[in-house]
Amino acid sequence: MSLGLLRYAGRRVLQAIPLLLGILTLTFVLMHAAPGDPTATYLTDNVSPEVVEQTRARLGLDEPVPVQYVKWIRAFAVGDFGRSYVAGEPEVRDKIGAALPNTLLLGLVSLAMIFVVGGLIGVIQAVRQYSVSDTTLTIGSLALYSMPGFWLGLMLQIAVSSGWWPDALSLPVSGMIDVRDHSSMTLVQQALDVARHLVLPTVALGLASAAGIARYMRGEMLEVIHQDYVRTARAKGLSERRVIFRHALRNALIPIVSLLGLYLPVLIGGSVVIEKVFAWPGMGLLLYDSVYARDYPTVMAATFLFGAIVVVGNLISDLLYAAADPRIRYE
Amino acid sequence: MTLRTSSHREARRPAVLQVFMSLLVALGSAACGGDGRDGSSAPVARPEVPEAERYGGTVVVAGRNDIASMNAFTSLDIESLQHQAHLLFVTLLKADDREQPLPYFARSWTFGEDSASVTFELERGLTWHDGEPATAQDVVFTFETMRDPAAGYPHRALFDAWLGVELLDEYTLRFTIRPAANLFYGWTRLAIMPAHILGDVPPAALATHPFGTSTPVGNGPFRFVERVPGDRWVFEANPDFPDALGGRPYVDRYVYRVIADDATQATAIRVGEVDLLPEASPASLGLFAADTAVRLISYDDSDYSFIAWNTRRSLFADPAVRRALTMAIDRPGIVAAVLEGEGMVGVGPVGPWHWAFDSTNAPLPHAPDSARAVLAAAGWTDADGDGVLERDGRPFDFTMYVTPRDTWRSVAAIVQSNLRDVGIAMEVEVREASSLQPLVTSPDRRFDAFLLTWIPDQTLDDRAMWACDQLAHPVHFSSYCNPELDAVLDSLLFVTDRAVYAGLVDRYNEILAADQPYTFLYYPPNHAAARIELRGVEMDVRGNWVSVTDWWLEPSAR
Repeated sequence: MSLGLLRYAGRRVLQAIPLLLGILTLTFVLMHAAPGDPTATYLTDNVSPEVVEQTRARLGLDEPVPVQYVKWIRAFAVGDFGRSYVAGEPEVRDKIGAALPNTLLLGLVSLAMIFVVGGLIGVIQAVRQYSVSDTTLTIGSLALYSMPGFWLGLMLQIAVSSGWWPDALSLPVSGMIDVRDHSSMTLVQQALDVARHLVLPTVALGLASAAGIARYMRGEMLEVIHQDYVRTARAKGLSERRVIFRHALRNALIPIVSLLGLYLPVLIGGSVVIEKVFAWPGMGLLLYDSVYARDYPTVMAATFLFGAIVVVGNLISDLLYAAADPRIRYE
Repeated sequence: MTLRTSSHREARRPAVLQVFMSLLVALGSAACGGDGRDGSSAPVARPEVPEAERYGGTVVVAGRNDIASMNAFTSLDIESLQHQAHLLFVTLLKADDREQPLPYFARSWTFGEDSASVTFELERGLTWHDGEPATAQDVVFTFETMRDPAAGYPHRALFDAWLGVELLDEYTLRFTIRPAANLFYGWTRLAIMPAHILGDVPPAALATHPFGTSTPVGNGPFRFVERVPGDRWVFEANPDFPDALGGRPYVDRYVYRVIADDATQATAIRVGEVDLLPEASPASLGLFAADTAVRLISYDDSDYSFIAWNTRRSLFADPAVRRALTMAIDRPGIVAAVLEGEGMVGVGPVGPWHWAFDSTNAPLPHAPDSARAVLAAAGWTDADGDGVLERDGRPFDFTMYVTPRDTWRSVAAIVQSNLRDVGIAMEVEVREASSLQPLVTSPDRRFDAFLLTWIPDQTLDDRAMWACDQLAHPVHFSSYCNPELDAVLDSLLFVTDRAVYAGLVDRYNEILAADQPYTFLYYPPNHAAARIELRGVEMDVRGNWVSVTDWWLEPSAR
């Protein structure tokens, strides 16, 4: 990595700090402006108002909102995410620590699926331009691209649970492990178990994006395969597969690769709904529940991480672009 | 005593998603050949399995909410309280389905002179899961900590009649008490906590102690195995649980999974990933009824759905007008149309789920003509012929708030139509629960009317909702005040004779039926869904996990 690139990356990270601070401040203000209160669950007729006030005081909710904000931001600056407001008041760090790896697993597998499947479809379409398969895949891609992920997820669940779905292809519809047998499995079996549970959420989360990548890839490939150096490669007598995958694809991938980082935040954001549909215990589900429980510390921490992932995704995208095309220089 | 959690959950779901899921379930039902309410899934006889062969297997239960904590001092949610009382810990007493106390950790009890004290003799041989014996010291610790305001125990009011405790020996203790109805109720719900683990923790620090979420040690029929936050709790059978307390549960392992989405819950039980849904979504009932692998379990739960009228507003200040409103509303029609005939028209705040409920009490009838006559007598007439009644130039129009549940929308539409028929214009405004709550709980009660489901408990200590000296309490929604009702509610706390108590319960319902600060719409039906291979499941007002130690799986499902 060149010095220029490092400088560029460092500058981008520094620029992200005020951006993230702005996101956090806005989230804090919106959360407190929204109706509702973390002690709403105490609204019962055998819980005295004194107990509710005692709880509010313990959580610091009896202080003015600006004071709460300053206290939170001070603690956050030294890496203390605070305690969750839900019963038991666990450390937010622990909740995030349990959920983040699951979301990253789902997001990264989806990312791989998006680019492999989307890329291959795009290549096939470009190589067979205007054929029946190209037209069919175009229509299919557009149909998939227009499907909301949660809708696709529910449809997949219905399909898998229906009588006509073959038993040999049975797939789990919820969670990330088989809770009955997972603990008695070998490590390999456990990995396969998680892989099986990944299939449906991965497809639901990533299929629409894969369709988008297919459209990009088709366009890039069509541009490349009509260029002189591809014709030259063919004239040298190389096989068509070698021409496509060694010469055309490598160049067509340059702009596509730069999308890699941009899709990461899309996937992380999409996980909020997909994780709920598939009961996947990740950051999306955690954020969803925390927003409704008015669990401010958890919402703030999750928002920060989501914001950071967006920043990092954009940065990765830029860096990959430079890595893929040596002609690009960052100053 | 709380707002129905599932209502909150349903209210939380985005409207678009709700509509879509309704469609989805309808599609799924159609794919399975109908809605199944024609008896197409008549129960098939299951194989007899000798008692000795019922042991083994893992039962998987799914609920919408996570179990928050195993710390009984800080828990509010029903999932936590039920798992504490029935799985991980023991309670001092159990209750039968008429709320009569039964021996459990306390194998016997005797009242002292003048019923000013009660002495408990505890079961010997019960141990904590770390090997320490469970003794009277644990009960004393639980009692004293629960009463300490610093601990913040939310349900202290259940123990108002318990004044003090004296440790007599390792397995005997004596409480000083004052006479009270439902004296033992709290002890049938509160799990006993371990003194040897939590005894040194300052009460104010209990809320954040890891015991509740990371390292719980119980003494009940199940042991804690693991917890994955937001995903699952795992317990295993305790082979050392004394026979005198029921002995080892049938299943080897018990897993509670969090599946927040109703449609996912429905799919998960149909494909066998889950064995039991304690709260089956109403939208999924048709699907389950048509599925031979799943059976529905109906059970009584202590809840009622109502419209609260704000009696501070002049429109609703007159009891006669409120009665007219109730008579104008076709509640049997709502039960038939919205609940598909299940559930029961409401009589008052005490429903069929309470042992003292008198089933001969009749609700106010649907009588629109009588309603019109009462309104006319109260001065409400349609002078300008626009179809809306007026009095002193003020039209009879108002707004009713509902939370965004499909059920509420349907009910509100019927109510709106019924009231229009008698000349009352009602607007329906849908508000998310968290934005409705401040309006209805604020001291100035910023609403005309709203629709809700409420879950009272068996003690019927409902003073916070009705008593004249509790008008500022957040749940005193209607601001209705009646000294006679106050006297009845006070008496309900202290009367120990069950016949007299039942008479007071009748009077409680009668007063509110006469004055109608609420229109008690109905007692909603409650359903659980279970895989047919899961046997022994019984549920009632004591809770959905009351029979968990008797659940067993057929050999083919282990």
